[in-house]
Amino acid sequence: MTSSSDHNFPFGRRRFLAGASAGALGLGLSGTPFGRAFAQARRFDGQSLNLMIIQPHVVTGRILAEQWEKLTGAKVNVTAVPYDQVQSKATLDVQSGTNNFDVIDYWYTTVGALANDGVVTDVTAWIERDKAEIQPDDYLRSLYDPYTLADGKRWGLPYDGDSHLLFYNKEIFDRHGLKPPATWDEYRERAKAITEAEKASGIYGAAILGGKAPIIIGSTYANRLAGFGGRFLKEDGSSALDEAAAVEAAKALKDAAPFALPTPLETRFEEGLPAFLSGKVAMIEFWSDLGVYAQDPKGSKIVDKWDAVRIPVGGKNTTPRLALNAGFGFAISSGSQKQEHAWEFIKFATGAKTGLALLLTTGSGIDPDRASTLAAPEYKAFAPKVQAALAGALENGLPWPNGPQSPQLMQALADELALVLADQKSPEDAIAAAHQQWTTIIAS
Amino acid sequence: MALAESIGTARTEAPARRRRWRLGTASLASPLVVALLLTTLYPLVALVALSLSRSTLGKPLRDWAGVANFIRVLADPAFLASLWRSAAFALPMAAIELVLGLALALLFHRLVKAGRVFTSLALLPLMTPPVMVGVAWKLIFAADGGLLNGWLRAAGLVDAPMSFLGSSAWAAAAVILADAWQWTPFVALLCFAAIKGLSEEVMEAARLDGATAWQRFRHITLPLLVPTLAAVFLLRLVMAFKLFDLVYVLTFGGPGFDTTTSGFLIWRLAFEQFDVGRAAAATLVFTGFVSLVVWPASRAAKRLEARYA
Repeated sequence: MTSSSDHNFPFGRRRFLAGASAGALGLGLSGTPFGRAFAQARRFDGQSLNLMIIQPHVVTGRILAEQWEKLTGAKVNVTAVPYDQVQSKATLDVQSGTNNFDVIDYWYTTVGALANDGVVTDVTAWIERDKAEIQPDDYLRSLYDPYTLADGKRWGLPYDGDSHLLFYNKEIFDRHGLKPPATWDEYRERAKAITEAEKASGIYGAAILGGKAPIIIGSTYANRLAGFGGRFLKEDGSSALDEAAAVEAAKALKDAAPFALPTPLETRFEEGLPAFLSGKVAMIEFWSDLGVYAQDPKGSKIVDKWDAVRIPVGGKNTTPRLALNAGFGFAISSGSQKQEHAWEFIKFATGAKTGLALLLTTGSGIDPDRASTLAAPEYKAFAPKVQAALAGALENGLPWPNGPQSPQLMQALADELALVLADQKSPEDAIAAAHQQWTTIIAS
Repeated sequence: MALAESIGTARTEAPARRRRWRLGTASLASPLVVALLLTTLYPLVALVALSLSRSTLGKPLRDWAGVANFIRVLADPAFLASLWRSAAFALPMAAIELVLGLALALLFHRLVKAGRVFTSLALLPLMTPPVMVGVAWKLIFAADGGLLNGWLRAAGLVDAPMSFLGSSAWAAAAVILADAWQWTPFVALLCFAAIKGLSEEVMEAARLDGATAWQRFRHITLPLLVPTLAAVFLLRLVMAFKLFDLVYVLTFGGPGFDTTTSGFLIWRLAFEQFDVGRAAAATLVFTGFVSLVVWPASRAAKRLEARYA
């Protein structure tokens, strides 16, 4: 596990405070998040906040805690939880009456369920009140509503705009005289060629994240669904898994599986990342912050030997589209007794300046969620390949369902896809079964 | 006269004394009764209430659902399959561990002094948290960089890594093996204690009569151990039905649903789909199923105990 001291936060203490002071002085204490936070230094001095954050973002949690303490004097206690247990942990905290957490990290697809269960606080009015500070219009339009809106109200603010890119190992590709794939057919061909040639030496054409958790296998499927021009839900909220693209996406997943790092069903975030960074796989669909990890010589054997392109297309679709896989926001726990303090922290943590600073920090696990940070010259310089692949595509990302029944929907789909990878169901049968389950769940 | 008075007094005071004694006894037992009510009756009532309601993790007991949750659970092929799968795991696991445990216990007993060292070592798997047992075995079985695959490749037995946890049969075998590694020492310790309690005189007499080691085991040790073995088997059977940790860490119920036991499926209903009502109904059905499977085993154990005790 890395500690925050292992990484360089682009704002040194003096520089950070100087910036905050300048903001406070220059903009009348309310023009920037830092200025406002600085103005509130005395207000939160000696207080504490409990923050729950997913384990892959623990570095971010520590950085935010450190900076918030420096700015306001308030101590932030960071609790890291596994990424697939964040919803149950937050829900049980409130439901049990423990109310340990003030600020919770949430996967955006669960925002409807969290709101429906009364776990998070409605912040619609606060966003409206503080919109000059928050700058909601700066958020990428494709993700602001899916990340925050449920039942006509807003329940949090985004801080990590996740999507997948297709990363490939240039060295392996050059060895075989291959170019990065633009279609899912080409992807399978590349994977097949490399695996067949180099399997004996432990090198595979692709790592396919197929672990049964919705955030893992669901992301892998969403990439193909977006590539084939599909969608999860129709405009009326009904299941769109009866569309041709849904089946085509599942077929593309199954067709490539035999040429992937063995085996896709056992490959999760934790297995796929080290395999790619150690040069054992030629391609991986992964969150865009992999571009930062890949350039860190402390954990990567492929520094300057990789590149990233947009997710391939398939079928009749010729327009690349990124799927909004994962993606997280901060919300106030409804059980918190420090709602105002929690809100001020969230505004700081999700602000454009903080977001940019985290983007430029190796190990933060944060990807762009605002137009300003995506286009920032510092980000372009820090992660040029990733920035080029994201810009222009992230704005039109494919969102996952985010209503109250989203966890059930994605679990049902993940189960069926796992059966496809286990050769226990055909893609057609699995997607038909998932569609049937979705129709039942949505109707209930 | 005095005696008659005494008897009369005693007769009149006896019921009062008995009442006082009963009250005293009841008051002494009351903490236990309250604890039992809190730890068994309350969860059971809550479970039944949840199973009859539409409940999510965040909002339990939202609406009355009647038997709708039970109908959904009983109509779910994945759940029904998980019941049989749980039995298919529990019965061989308990049997394998009983046989291996008894063999280990006999070995400990034979080694006398070294047996004490072995019994201490045998505690290690028991003291290891089940999640860590799962992690350790996952590292052994991993297709990419796993210890077992490394050995197989080094020995030239395979040219490509085998996916133990990605194949149905191997994944099930891996779960059973890991469970046996963890629980066989527990069975061995119980058997060892039972063997230590056997009468040495009987053994000595058998030796003097010329009985071989196998004859002594077959006709003396084994019959005398039957009550213990039956109890241990029942205990392990019930524990094996609750298999969860190893499935969660090693296979996550896969590939497909091939290692999804009922315990794991119920956890997924409650903590992944957040359908607590259905999870509660599934729990009650599962409890009934376990009772049905365990009942004949329990009857058989009692008969054996009566015969050999």
